[in-house]
This record gives sequence, C-alpha cells and structure tokens, in this order.
Amino acid sequence: MASFAGALRALNELKASGVVDEYAVAGAMALVFWTEPIPTFDLDVLVFLPEQPSPIVSLEPIYRWTSARGYASQSEHVLIEGVPVQFLPAHNALADEAIETAATLDYEGVPVRVVRAEYLVALYLEPGARTLKRRERAAALKESTSIDPTLLAEILGRFHLEP
Amino acid sequence: MKGRSDGRGRPDAKLLASLREAKADHHRRQAQLPLPEKVRLVVELQRLCLPLLERRRPLAPWERPWQIEP
Repeated sequence: MASFAGALRALNELKASGVVDEYAVAGAMALVFWTEPIPTFDLDVLVFLPEQPSPIVSLEPIYRWTSARGYASQSEHVLIEGVPVQFLPAHNALADEAIETAATLDYEGVPVRVVRAEYLVALYLEPGARTLKRRERAAALKESTSIDPTLLAEILGRFHLEP
Repeated sequence: MKGRSDGRGRPDAKLLASLREAKADHHRRQAQLPLPEKVRLVVELQRLCLPLLERRRPLAPWERPWQIEP
C-alpha cells in the first residue's frame, strides 16, 4: 500500500534527479508538522526549478518525471504514493527564503524539508493570500511553541507584512 | 459554580481558567504527537470532513481521503 513516507521519499528522489533544485513542504501539512493535525487533502510543495531556457516557468519537467514513474495527474495535482501533491514554484523572495531556511525533519527514517513555522506564518499573511482560513492558521501557528517570536517579527518587518 | 438570581448557574473565574488551560493543554499534546500519528489523524479528519464539504460545494477530483498507510 502507498504511504506518506513513500510520498516524501519521492520528493527527495525528485531533487536527487535534478528535476528540482530544492523543495520544502509548505501549506497545511507543514503546519501539521509544527502544530496539531488539521483537515487538509493535499501536500503543498514549494520548489526551486532549475534555470529554464524560456522566461515562462513550466512545471512540465516535474510532470514528465512523475508520469514516467506512473504517478497520475489530477488537474494541478499529482497523485504520489496516494497523496495529492501540488508543486508551487517559489513566487517571490519570501518563498525563496522559506525554501532556503527549511528544517530537515525525520519521518519514519525519511528526511523531509519543511518550511519553518515563522515563514509559514509570513506566507499565510501575504497580501494576495490573506483568506480567513489562512489568517486562522497563522494565528494558530503564532500561539504554538514552535514559533520564535523574535524571528517572526523580523521576517514580518522585513517583508512589510501586517501581523 | 455560583448561582444567579435567574437560577442559571455560571462558571466562576477559577473554573473558566481551568477549562481554558485544559483546552490549551489538549492542543499542546496534539502538537507533540509523533508525526505518523498526526498523519493518521489527518486522514481520519479527511474522512470526517468530506461529507460536510461535499454538501457545501462540488469536490475537486483530488479531494478524497488518502489511501495510504500513515
């Protein structure tokens, strides 16, 4: 049977094969790593794509890689080992830093890079992404013990984000 | 509990504080669960939430409980 560890292993293989330069789990599943379980149906993965000849970013190399391994695509998600995964190319400097500073955690012997809680809060508070649900998640993270308040204040200040 | 003139009981500050602390403690304990146990609970929450979500809006093809071992 498919397993969550298998999905994480596939992410590491995606990086090892050079299809992505780096990755970090983000979104609700990253929140689950740092706080408590919440309902979510997919695994968001921020990625650095290798330099491409065209200025238009394409996820095609990722989809080619996953398809070659028999993972089916469902609209913008790829079903990897039973887990719908959405790949999100880093869209700005905050996302870049979130990937660069991600923590490497251990999931049943599989290393997995996860966006740190302080960066998750900042990503949830980005102007284009401030839905009620995201603000609630940011609030839950801020109350958790996994947050360094000094680091969070520094990140929010530097990226001009409203707490 | 202190009574009120309308006969409805109200919690006093001590009871309220203890209830809030118990809730905070529950959240802390949930956050400290081993990761595979958290993933198992996420899948359980998916099963519970799906019928509610389905009543509110059409589901995307990927919005299904994960068929996985945690």
